[in-house]
Amino acid sequence: MKKPDAKLVLLGDMNVGKTSLLHRYTERKFKDTISTVGGAFFLKQWGPYNMSIWDTAGREQFHGLGSMYCRGAAAVIFTYDVTNWQSLVELEERFLSLTDTANHDCIYAVVGNKADLTDAKAQMSQDSGRPQLLSACPTPPATPASLSGVILHKQVTHEDAVALYGRILRYKGLEEKSSLPAEKMCFETSAKTGHNVDTLFETLFDLMLPSILRKRNENQNSPTVDLEECSVASSKQAKSACC
Amino acid sequence: MERDSHQEGEAQVVKNCDPPSDCVPTAETLATSLSLLGNHMFPDPVEKNDSTSVDKEEHATLHQSKVTQKEQHLDAESHSNQVNKLEAEETENSEYQNNESTKSVDRDAEDAGTDNDQSESGEFVVAMLAKAKLEEQGIGVKGRSSLLLEAGTQEPAAFMSHRDEDVTADSWRQHRKHVFVLSEAGKPIYSRYGSEEALSSTMGVMMALVSFVQSGDNIIRSVYSEGHTVVFLQKGPLVLVCVSSSRQSEQQLREELLYVYYQIISMLTQASISRIFEHKKNYDLRRLLAGSEKILDGLLNLVDSDPSFLLAAVHCLPLASSLRDSISQILQKAITPNLVFSILIAKNQLLTIVQEKTVIEDTRLEPTDIHLLLNLIGASSAFQAGEIWTPICLPLFNPDCYFYAYISYLDPPECTVCLLLLSTDKEAFYAVAECKRKIEEAMVAQNSLSLIAKAQSYSVSQVGVSDLRHFMYKPFDVPDNYRQLTQFTSPEMEAPYSSEEEKMRLLDLYRYMHSRIHSTSRPLKLIYQVAERETLLAWVTSKFELYTCFSPLVTKACAITAITKLLRWIKKEEDRLFIRYPPKYSTTTNPSKSSRGGKSDQQDSTDNGFLSLL
Repeated sequence: MKKPDAKLVLLGDMNVGKTSLLHRYTERKFKDTISTVGGAFFLKQWGPYNMSIWDTAGREQFHGLGSMYCRGAAAVIFTYDVTNWQSLVELEERFLSLTDTANHDCIYAVVGNKADLTDAKAQMSQDSGRPQLLSACPTPPATPASLSGVILHKQVTHEDAVALYGRILRYKGLEEKSSLPAEKMCFETSAKTGHNVDTLFETLFDLMLPSILRKRNENQNSPTVDLEECSVASSKQAKSACC
Repeated sequence: MERDSHQEGEAQVVKNCDPPSDCVPTAETLATSLSLLGNHMFPDPVEKNDSTSVDKEEHATLHQSKVTQKEQHLDAESHSNQVNKLEAEETENSEYQNNESTKSVDRDAEDAGTDNDQSESGEFVVAMLAKAKLEEQGIGVKGRSSLLLEAGTQEPAAFMSHRDEDVTADSWRQHRKHVFVLSEAGKPIYSRYGSEEALSSTMGVMMALVSFVQSGDNIIRSVYSEGHTVVFLQKGPLVLVCVSSSRQSEQQLREELLYVYYQIISMLTQASISRIFEHKKNYDLRRLLAGSEKILDGLLNLVDSDPSFLLAAVHCLPLASSLRDSISQILQKAITPNLVFSILIAKNQLLTIVQEKTVIEDTRLEPTDIHLLLNLIGASSAFQAGEIWTPICLPLFNPDCYFYAYISYLDPPECTVCLLLLSTDKEAFYAVAECKRKIEEAMVAQNSLSLIAKAQSYSVSQVGVSDLRHFMYKPFDVPDNYRQLTQFTSPEMEAPYSSEEEKMRLLDLYRYMHSRIHSTSRPLKLIYQVAERETLLAWVTSKFELYTCFSPLVTKACAITAITKLLRWIKKEEDRLFIRYPPKYSTTTNPSKSSRGGKSDQQDSTDNGFLSLL
């Protein structure tokens, strides 16, 4: 079995589009998903590395398992919905504390999804892979027929996300100067059009690389390996015990 | 509580009118019983229609007082009520009339004694309901538009379909079966159709009815009106209400509400629900259930379309016993500490289930818990490539604790074979996922998946009885097999029951037979019903429960021979049709007598995040 080299966790309130983001990245398409139950685990091959991804349920019902999903994470994506202020608030109130079990060098990204609903630029983007992140593109929207074309009120601005990123670093006791800059770690994406989705995942994987390499060098057993070994041992035990 | 006492009442009634001689389950007995029952017991359709229409007239004129009547006739009186009914029914020839109309006849006599108090309260009920309807016309539209603003376009269309319905529209009223869940404070929690917000005043009236009857130290159980049965079920801080025009019996509807309750428990546990409402009476439970509506919707659709729920038994995939055994052995070998159940599901049917030894010694797995698991899997498989890890409570096993369920499909992208591993350790994901890899490897080695893919439900033609169209056979426990899961077997529904409408019609016929067999007032052992388009025979003995459907021209003698043949066929095929011996494994290192109520479980139910909400 492929051993995962690093773990990435998607966190955020229900209906912000965590599953859709991941689905857009892995399956290259957008589809209606239903509310995730618990958490879903995926293995994704990235170059020579195996990335494990936890797509978690945003519902309060499953809050209790959050810290389990985050244990040993190398990267956490805090996802909110740009049209829903509360979804940003929830990140700080409900999800930030779940990352206590993440790696000490875990990197954090703040991602505003559903940008296509508020942003003409995101509506058009059929994921070129590397769209300009923050350039003020003045091109008028040529709304594709498949999209609603209704521009909703944007409730969360990029500045709000940057401010949250600062508070996350403070919560983690990290120096702003020595950490990754907010400009680099705050994204606005659209799982529907694919806008910025690849950029998000590829950027994060790139940034996780040092942690992956260090882990390989140290040749240190990850919690995964420990548990696996223990399960092999115990099944042997059980086998001998049952006869 | 009230349900329990009610059941005791049922048990008594059953005992009272149980002719002991009926218990021997041979075809000979069936033949004698059938010949003993004279022809007058089987009225032809014409006769039936006549008497029904007479009933209907009485029914209509007494409509209003009957509502009152039903309200006042609550638990305390239910037993005497049943006795009355029993007497009334004994004088009645038309055995096979629809339940409601016979009931209304009984009540006519009782209604004569209705006093002023009762009619006043009847007016109260009617006035309240009318008022609610008026209010809804205002609120309904408002609630709906605000919902659209809030959730609107970003919501997937499929997700919104039923929630989005206009509750003031006629089409909303036309639904065959409505189900509502509300808190004791009258807060809406769930509605099968329409948004809960829009229905808050209707739910308010429901709660008013419950409290009104409660204030008289009574419990409201049901309200009958022409064409609709309203059934109430109170469970802890939750009130469940079903409004049905399906002509199912009150008991059946109450059982269905119980499934809904258990599905909610399976997501939140009983302990946390009571704790939440102890702390805050008017807590909005939708906060915790948000996103789970699909699971409840799915459950209600299954309850309507899958007879497993009616029979309270599990339908397993027919499979050669050698193949089933070899797959069970694969599951038996892939274990890890704290693993308690390994379940394999193919084509939405149970293939095998392996259980931890000490757990199975303590208790057996109830069909209801399996149904809830199957429904959860069905409702959560939209994004099937991943491995799911989620807390889940098995309410009949232990309503207060969580298991941790590992769910993964073994045959992506088809996703028909699903592995479900239940552990008591919430951190065990990686260990349990490793069990899946072992299972996967072994199954590849033995080519199990392609063999499973070939397995399918059987056709009734394989039985080789020409007039037999369909059947459902549920064997009861035999003493040496007590730990076995209750199962039933049934062929595919084929022509003339291939369309959805016809399937539903046959199921409705079965439901009706079932309600007669399990009637609280007058349970029956045997029903032979000649209907317009088919002939049905239902038979319950101490060893099995059987429902059969024949072509309409079958004779009684033919039916008896057919059933003898069918029973012989089932006996011959039972190794293939049923999971015969529950396989076990042992994963507990310290034999502290099962995980049931174990300490770690208790802990989990309390620290699953709910306390932080209060």
